[in-house]
Amino acid sequence: MAETNTNPQTLWWAVARSEEVTNAKPINVDLGDQPVVLWRDADGVARALEDRCPHRRAPLSLGCVLGNGMIQCGYHGWTYEGETGHLKDIPNLKSTQKFPPLYRAKSYAVAESGGFVRISENPAATQPAVIAAALPLSGTEQVSLTHSEFLNALYDDPALVIAIRGVRFTPYLATELIEANGRLVMERNCQWAGPRWPAPFIPEFPASLLISTEPETGESKLIVRDADFKELLRVILAPVPGSRGVTQVRWRAKLASHRPGIMAKVMGTGAPFEILSAVDGAALRVLRPSVSVHAEALRQGIIDRRTASSQAA
Amino acid sequence: MLETVQTTSHDDDILANAMKPANFQKAVNNWVPHDIALKDAWFPLAHSFAVEAKPVRRSVYSQPFYLWRENGVAVASEFHPNDSERSSKSIYSDASGRYPVLERYGYVWGWYGNPANADPVHLPSIPYLPEEGNLPQHMLGTVRFDCCAPLSLENLIDLTHADFLHADVVGDEKMDKEVVEVFHDSETITMVRSCTNKSVAPIMKRFGGVKDDVQQVRQVIRIYLRSHAAIAYGRFSPGDNVQLFHPCVPETRDRTRLDYTMNTSNVKKSNPFRYLMPKASYKVSRQDSYMTSPQSPRYMNPEKRKDLHSPLDEAGQKYRVLMQALAERQAHGDFSYRDNVSADCSDIIGYDGK
Repeated sequence: MAETNTNPQTLWWAVARSEEVTNAKPINVDLGDQPVVLWRDADGVARALEDRCPHRRAPLSLGCVLGNGMIQCGYHGWTYEGETGHLKDIPNLKSTQKFPPLYRAKSYAVAESGGFVRISENPAATQPAVIAAALPLSGTEQVSLTHSEFLNALYDDPALVIAIRGVRFTPYLATELIEANGRLVMERNCQWAGPRWPAPFIPEFPASLLISTEPETGESKLIVRDADFKELLRVILAPVPGSRGVTQVRWRAKLASHRPGIMAKVMGTGAPFEILSAVDGAALRVLRPSVSVHAEALRQGIIDRRTASSQAA
Repeated sequence: MLETVQTTSHDDDILANAMKPANFQKAVNNWVPHDIALKDAWFPLAHSFAVEAKPVRRSVYSQPFYLWRENGVAVASEFHPNDSERSSKSIYSDASGRYPVLERYGYVWGWYGNPANADPVHLPSIPYLPEEGNLPQHMLGTVRFDCCAPLSLENLIDLTHADFLHADVVGDEKMDKEVVEVFHDSETITMVRSCTNKSVAPIMKRFGGVKDDVQQVRQVIRIYLRSHAAIAYGRFSPGDNVQLFHPCVPETRDRTRLDYTMNTSNVKKSNPFRYLMPKASYKVSRQDSYMTSPQSPRYMNPEKRKDLHSPLDEAGQKYRVLMQALAERQAHGDFSYRDNVSADCSDIIGYDGK
């Protein structure tokens, strides 16, 4: 999990893509070391509980979703309602008894928009801003880097963690990492893939990659633009810290339908965007921290000002 | 005969105190089964047929047990006979590194604890296994669990789990009535589950010739606490009785070996159930592991949050308390048996020899 933040319980983490959460089978995700089970209830509303039956600590994600939308532990059949986590049934008891309020699983607040299911540890957390439309392309990868290491690699050498069809990242920045509107923003010059003059000898770059990161969750917007400032690809990338230092990265993307130029059109052949699940350790080890050197100080500065602002309010 | 440490009045009171309501709940919620390693017990380390002239390796709490036969007699040693660089021996074997060993019910049993205290009188009673063994090998099998032995046994003694995990083998939770009774002494716990008009076990319906939709079921689980061994005896009407011996040898604190015997010699030779039921353990054990494997690490350390319980958990709760009472008694230096585990328990489990 991000090392520092204003109040971790109020953050919203994109722990799943909408299509990953169904009423057919619960799924397991992590929020840091905390396992979480997700499913959809009978109304299609995404629900999130701690992935741990309070009865005998078995993962609820190994159970099933009942027709009434509740989740049933696969071990002894204890059945929980999703919104509050209250225990509703122990089938073998053969009674309709009500259970005391203590009999509940830990629940999470859930918000869904833009094709992401987000959860917050604080059930009373203010709902996040609604994202109207979901970008059509999407994927999920589990990356063997911690949350901060993943973001630092993204800043210092994106080619270690992402690939964009037809695009080669250069070491040359159009904008170093700065704060803009409460986000961490940078822009990197790019070349088209294929035989090209080496980047140090290029007077004008044909494209750029803008990265704009929410400082607390690391959720980032990536935009590839051509030299005419035309948007070619837009990606929302949501890294979430998981167990054992793994970062779960979900993303959604949209490739512009009209892309002038042959190389821009090449972006549409095959998958235009992917997260690399395997990181080149040899390259990562010798990667000099450059952009990321100031990232933590910038991030902390934004968070401190947010904290001061919320306390003043 | 058994040599025991002189006990104190405090030790005598441990179980009685543990059963007092306040202490009982405290013990139930202080359950860290990985920390319990009971000593002075016979463990069924191997099926007799598996022990031959060539040594086989077993473990109890990581303590090595090499088993082989010398002139047809089973022996157990903490050293492999080819081990030329023997490290210092443990306190669990004699001067030559040999453990007390005996052979009964088709198993080679090794004593884990003070060798001076080893006595056949502490061998669990298993009424439906012939003392001389010799059951056909299709009734025997080995499965392993990626979990600690007490959790495996806690799983077994709460049979409501079977209605969910093993519904496709032994039937689901649909029934008219369920009554669970629990009995215990200082060395054993016995759970009797009586089900009225329970949905028929699919394996009996498909392969056992049972045509009805419901059956009357009386299932008994009796656990010998120290030996981590359980009797699972089921009477089904209509249907054939199920006679399973279910030892859970703690090879390490978090891994369990189960050399089981499913004695189906009571079933007609022409009935496929006789041959298939023993093999159901391969499926059932994987279903159990599906839950107990992820469950086990969550019981490795003390946990502030208490487990929630239902009235159906009485047997599991008592098992937790009894195990902790035994562990506490052993921590005080009392390794004696207060109750006789080798006395015939046919009446207790309702076994009539058929």
